[in-house]
Amino acid sequence: MPRLRDRVAASPSLTTSGAKGVPSFDEASLVAPAVAAVRGLRVSTLDGTELVHGVDLAVRPGEALGVVGESGSGKTLTCRALLGILPAGTRITGGAVLIEGQDLAHADERAWRDVRGRRLGAVFQDPASYINPAVRVGAQLEEVLRVTAGVPRRQTRERARELLDSLGLRDVDLVLRRRVGELSGGMLQRVLIAMALAADPAVLIADEATTALDVTVQAELLDLLRDLRRERGLALILVSHDLAVVSQVCERVLVFRDGAIVEGGATARVLRAPGHPYTRELLAAHAEYGLERYLRS
Amino acid sequence: MSGPGSRANVVVRLWNAGAAVRVALVGLGLIVLVGIFGPALAPYDPLAQDTAIALQGPTLAHWLGTDYVGRDVLSRLLAGAPVSLLAALLAMTIGLVLGAIPGVLSVFAPRIVEWTSLRLVDALLALPFILFAIAFAGLLGNGLWQAMAAIGILLAPGFFRVSRAAALSVTSAQYVEAATLLGASAAWQVRRHVWRSVAPTITVAAIGAIGGALLVVSSLTFLGIGVQPPAPTWGGMLASDLEFLSQRPLGPVAPALAIILTVGALNLLADAARDALGVDAATVRTRAVRARKETAHATSA
Amino acid sequence: MTALLEVEDLSVDLGRAPRVRVLHDVSLRVRPGEVVGVVGESGSGKTTLARAILRAVDASTGRIVVQGREVQALRGRRLRDWRRAGAAQYVFQDPLRSLDPGVRVVDSVAEGLRIAGVPRDEAAARVTAALAAVGLSDELARRRPAELSGGQRQRIAIARALAVEPRLLILDEPVSALDAASRDRVIRALIGLRDAAAGRGDDALGMLVISHDIGSLAAVSDRLVVLYRGRVVEDGLTRDVVSSPRHPYTRLLISSVPLIGVDAPDRAERTALRALVDA
Repeated sequence: MPRLRDRVAASPSLTTSGAKGVPSFDEASLVAPAVAAVRGLRVSTLDGTELVHGVDLAVRPGEALGVVGESGSGKTLTCRALLGILPAGTRITGGAVLIEGQDLAHADERAWRDVRGRRLGAVFQDPASYINPAVRVGAQLEEVLRVTAGVPRRQTRERARELLDSLGLRDVDLVLRRRVGELSGGMLQRVLIAMALAADPAVLIADEATTALDVTVQAELLDLLRDLRRERGLALILVSHDLAVVSQVCERVLVFRDGAIVEGGATARVLRAPGHPYTRELLAAHAEYGLERYLRS
Repeated sequence: MSGPGSRANVVVRLWNAGAAVRVALVGLGLIVLVGIFGPALAPYDPLAQDTAIALQGPTLAHWLGTDYVGRDVLSRLLAGAPVSLLAALLAMTIGLVLGAIPGVLSVFAPRIVEWTSLRLVDALLALPFILFAIAFAGLLGNGLWQAMAAIGILLAPGFFRVSRAAALSVTSAQYVEAATLLGASAAWQVRRHVWRSVAPTITVAAIGAIGGALLVVSSLTFLGIGVQPPAPTWGGMLASDLEFLSQRPLGPVAPALAIILTVGALNLLADAARDALGVDAATVRTRAVRARKETAHATSA
Repeated sequence: MTALLEVEDLSVDLGRAPRVRVLHDVSLRVRPGEVVGVVGESGSGKTTLARAILRAVDASTGRIVVQGREVQALRGRRLRDWRRAGAAQYVFQDPLRSLDPGVRVVDSVAEGLRIAGVPRDEAAARVTAALAAVGLSDELARRRPAELSGGQRQRIAIARALAVEPRLLILDEPVSALDAASRDRVIRALIGLRDAAAGRGDDALGMLVISHDIGSLAAVSDRLVVLYRGRVVEDGLTRDVVSSPRHPYTRLLISSVPLIGVDAPDRAERTALRALVDA
């Protein structure tokens, strides 16, 4: 008897399109309630231009969801809505932002502070700009542990060490003593992942987290993300412009374009038999320029 | 849309910068008019003495009263304006020419020249303005032009530093390096790329420098250096008013206000110019790039 | 066929205290009509290589020969004259920084020609030709860099290099600062240039493309040179380097690239390769 999970993975997906008013059907919600989701999300600028047109996205516990699209497609805005950090000049004009079932779309900053770091963690591109360059990295990680995870002051150093160790960093003590300028992109990103996971959230959002890194370092970080899923049951929302990155890690993928989702479903199915012309375009571009053409025997 | 890269008229951009700036511009405009037409506007001959009406307060006949030998204060103020203003302008110009041009060129000079000029600048900056001006005037004769030359020389290091910093920030830009790789000479770099970024900085520095020079001119004439009485100057008027403070307590107010308001307007204008012209090209570019990254990162992807 | 570019045993030291050797005995060659991709991670010395060839930084030992002329010792006026002659041109990574924000892009494209003293109408014609070669119109070029998309800006930067009609074009991370759509268009533009050069024999444009992204490099390059910690560890036809890499670092690199529809080598293999490489 095939597991429900497998049958779901193998099933064709229904495309969701808020713009056309087709109600969304997320087969994933059959299996377990989503740990983080948006329903019919609409985001607009203050002067009324709609940037995100009714997006549905959900990630179940332990699941890895890939989000693919170019700049301007709405993928980053959706993630920011999930974290309650929409940029100045934009606001949510419709839909719900559900974190463990609770709608925070119009919640105040205090409610979000409880959620950020504790239920949701996030890492972004360009790790160096997210850490204070004047303070040692260890001190900043300890601060996050203290403030977000409530670790007592005396134990923060030890916990910081354990955390970085569990993320596969060698020479942990050395890294903790360093500052931003003395660490490579890969190491910095690991530190940021540590900060994001300090309070053991259920979901990690990685928005183009590996884009600026060397491909060997990217591979190591993707391995790390896979490990984290396995060891902690961490759910993952992996955002990338690179379909291949998403295909390595995620069971389901959503394709964004111009503020809406044009295709979604099991990764294997979407890559094998894409339904929407845009997805086909992306795959064709990849096939034309990717390394695969040299590697197929 | 107006922006640092746009060709919009500088004055138009400044005008649009805010209410305070407009006040400063209008005030400055008035002062410039007074500076040009002052003596013609004076109701009385600034040198005409009439001891009978000496040390009077403001009356209908004499709006700002009379000084210790019965000369009309308003007339003296108006007549004194061009001297002080022109002197300040001259000093600033000397400083600009002596300072800004070497400042920009120092970026392209060989190391040793750079080092030497920087040390020279440091030395000049250490000298106190007024004492140096007095010494200079004493050396070359007690005239206003000598004093202005002295002030100009002391203003030069400030211009040097400011224009050098602006030029450095541009020459480290990649598009300048791109031009170098295309075989550009230093002259080309300055003409084509550096000048456009440096000019706003120098403009702001110049506006501020006029204010500073005006203060020094007033101090010098206060001390009796440069222009001899009975020729009217704001600083000179201040000096004589202080002598007769007990008889006419409000006397110093007129020349003091004239100096304060002019310098104040110039400083306000300098600040506004700095903002409106986006003085530091590198900062502007960084800001623009950061803003672009932010918008791209935030409203898109 | 004389090589357009010959680098022989090039070593470059940078820094003052300490002085560090960034490139060790690097040799490579670019022939007319050929596109050579140099792939390396951050710290591999690839940008230094590009800058050394263009004499933006001094070589410590070795020879650099461009179109038969030794250039490693050029300085001052001779260097400037060589640059004006435009044999080798450079395209920077970030067009937002490499184009003057206050200047219309058409003037930026013409800059090299103006510096070389080319008369106005000839310059205008060459600018139009260069813009066409990268698929941009004269109309678009009247704008300032901030008004263009990333891909358009980068193509302008390429056009600027092409306007002086170089024989050798060196591109440093041409697509890294761009989003997917722009990346595509720039790669297409480069492939277009390569194809246009084919069949021109000795006259054909040669390109040296430097990047950390082996994916986009493989799309345009005929040959690949792999740089690791300042040394060349592999050099061969793209097809060979990708399908049967020899050096452990190349193998690590290839196996780290995320792929679609092809079974990637597993982690254990990558870890083993990493250990080999670090040794």
